[in-house]
Amino acid sequence: MSTKNIVEMRNIVKRFGSVVALRGVDFYVRENEVVGLVGDNGAGKSTLVKILFGIHAPDEGEIIIKGMKFKKLTPKLAYELGIVLIHQERTLCTNHPIWRNIFMGREITNKLGFLRIDDMKKIAYESLSQLELTRMPVETPVKYLSGGYQQGVQISRALVFEADLVILDEPTVALSLAETQRVLEYVNELKKKGKSAVFISHNIYHVYPVADRFVILDKGRVVAEFYKENLTPEDLTEIMISIARTGSVPEKYKELNLYRKSQLT
Amino acid sequence: MMTAIHELKGVRGIISDYKLQVVITAIFFAIWFAFYVLNPSAFTNPFTYTSLMSISPYTIIPAISLTLVIITGEIDLSFSSIMALGPLIMAMTWQAQGEASLLGVILGLLAGLGAGLFNGILITKLGIPSLIATIGTTFLWRGVVLVATQGFSIPLGQYRDSMVFSALVGWLGGIPVQFLWTIGLAIIFWLILNRHRFGAYIYYIGDNRVAAQMVGINVDRVLISVYAIHGLIAAFAGIINTLGMATFWPTLGDIYMLKSVSSVVIGGTPVTGGLGTIYGTFIGGLILEFIEMGVLTSGVTGFWIRLVHGVVIIVALAAQGILRRREIIRARVMRLITTQATQQSTS
Ligand SMILES: Nc1ncnc2c1ncn2[C@@H]1O[C@H](COP(=O)(O)OP(=O)(O)OP(=O)(O)O)[C@@H](O)[C@H]1O
Ligand SMILES: [Mg+2]
Repeated sequence: MSTKNIVEMRNIVKRFGSVVALRGVDFYVRENEVVGLVGDNGAGKSTLVKILFGIHAPDEGEIIIKGMKFKKLTPKLAYELGIVLIHQERTLCTNHPIWRNIFMGREITNKLGFLRIDDMKKIAYESLSQLELTRMPVETPVKYLSGGYQQGVQISRALVFEADLVILDEPTVALSLAETQRVLEYVNELKKKGKSAVFISHNIYHVYPVADRFVILDKGRVVAEFYKENLTPEDLTEIMISIARTGSVPEKYKELNLYRKSQLT
Repeated sequence: MMTAIHELKGVRGIISDYKLQVVITAIFFAIWFAFYVLNPSAFTNPFTYTSLMSISPYTIIPAISLTLVIITGEIDLSFSSIMALGPLIMAMTWQAQGEASLLGVILGLLAGLGAGLFNGILITKLGIPSLIATIGTTFLWRGVVLVATQGFSIPLGQYRDSMVFSALVGWLGGIPVQFLWTIGLAIIFWLILNRHRFGAYIYYIGDNRVAAQMVGINVDRVLISVYAIHGLIAAFAGIINTLGMATFWPTLGDIYMLKSVSSVVIGGTPVTGGLGTIYGTFIGGLILEFIEMGVLTSGVTGFWIRLVHGVVIIVALAAQGILRRREIIRARVMRLITTQATQQSTS
């Protein structure tokens, strides 16, 4: 794993009217790193990644991507910078075939804007085969696909667009066990390809196997940050429960908390 | 183990759109057959078909561009008034120039384009729901036409021999030119919808607007363009209608509001957006006109037209409702099968 940051968010504050969703969050993702972003309902996880993808503009703070500083982004800009958000709500047009969904918004066309359908089908097929998702023809409408397959199509889209950072906001919600397993394999696949990912999930057992580092958000603040090698899933669960109850990390894990350390130094 | 899913039963003929098109085509032939049974002499009379080809463009042309609007999940009613606004500008230009100029046609088309742009801006930039916004502009443009003409028609018979007339409503090889225009426009719009990026965006916006925004599609720009195009095409339909009658009527277009919307709906484009075909709209329009022709030539009073239209619209929508419901069940079954497929490949 490299130590170079692919994105960095500094002191991000976001208010929705009187609700303060983020209260000065520092967050970074390194090259070829999978970050597990965890925290209770309403902690601000979705808000943070939506800011990173340009759906919301932060009230304060700055975002640094590949050495460039931004006050805010737009989804279009984020795509161009190599960031793809795979949403809690799926960003697919379900009446349309797989290949069209993969190229949605980035169609391959001739100079006049007419679609090069065969090229797109071919590339779609190649990208899907990297994830072993070739059991359905690329002409299949997405509504015929199971939830896990649909997530796979979204990840294929990220692969085709050569995204460097794929954000997955609760991609395993409402999926069967086996399908969840598949989605986790997709994330591993991304990592093998040298990509980075942010993986948001409520379920520690979904994040744990794929993440290199965990960032725990609570009520709009980062309260803790751990490397996976230092923790078991049970440790992580214990920490999460403690944070939910008392707002702080149990004494015996405090040494391992990267976030506290960086605050102290 | 590795049986590809598409070899399983039921996945061939992937999109139910084809089935919808088969159903709508079947309804068309059923009506044609009914026509034959009820009135064999009119059925075999070529005049029946040439008049069908002369008259149906007035319904079908605006319905073609309306299909795009409805696929985006929006609606436009004001095209019925734009159908009068465009030819009014044309007629006034001709009156001022004293000749049937191409300039008049172009100004008329531009008026339609501008009126469409105005709709698009009201809907996207001011956020007015399209139904409300276009009810407003329906009155606005009709009002402009009525005030400008004081309700009087403008006779244009003296220009009958002009180039513009023969190019738009003349005859070519025994076929009314306006019908050739209709087919040409249908092909162009089919290409846009199915083979061009712009058409893809139209479908995506209707299917999942949030997703379209998230992949960076400029939704407002696409919607404004769709309304502008629809305005332009509505003005074109109004112009050929005016030339076809050789008179500008200030009430022109009123009857097409319901007929064109019905053509789109009979043709299988749901008002919820995301789906729809130009082919369906074309056949839908032909069905309505065919019924009208059938009723008129069968000797019963014209009052029957609306009644039969109503029955056919309800039958067509009922058939589509059944197909769509079966499609939902089918999708559910397919999702189950694909779930098992992903499970197999894990284990
Ligand atoms: N668009 C919005 N308008 C108003 N308030 C919002 C909006 N989006 C989020 N919030 C509020 O901001 C806070 C953080 O929400 P967010 O969705 O980021 O949490 P989360 O950690 O993703 O939670 P969950 O696990 O439930 O998805 C919540 O209090 C939420 O109600
Ligand atoms: Mg969330």
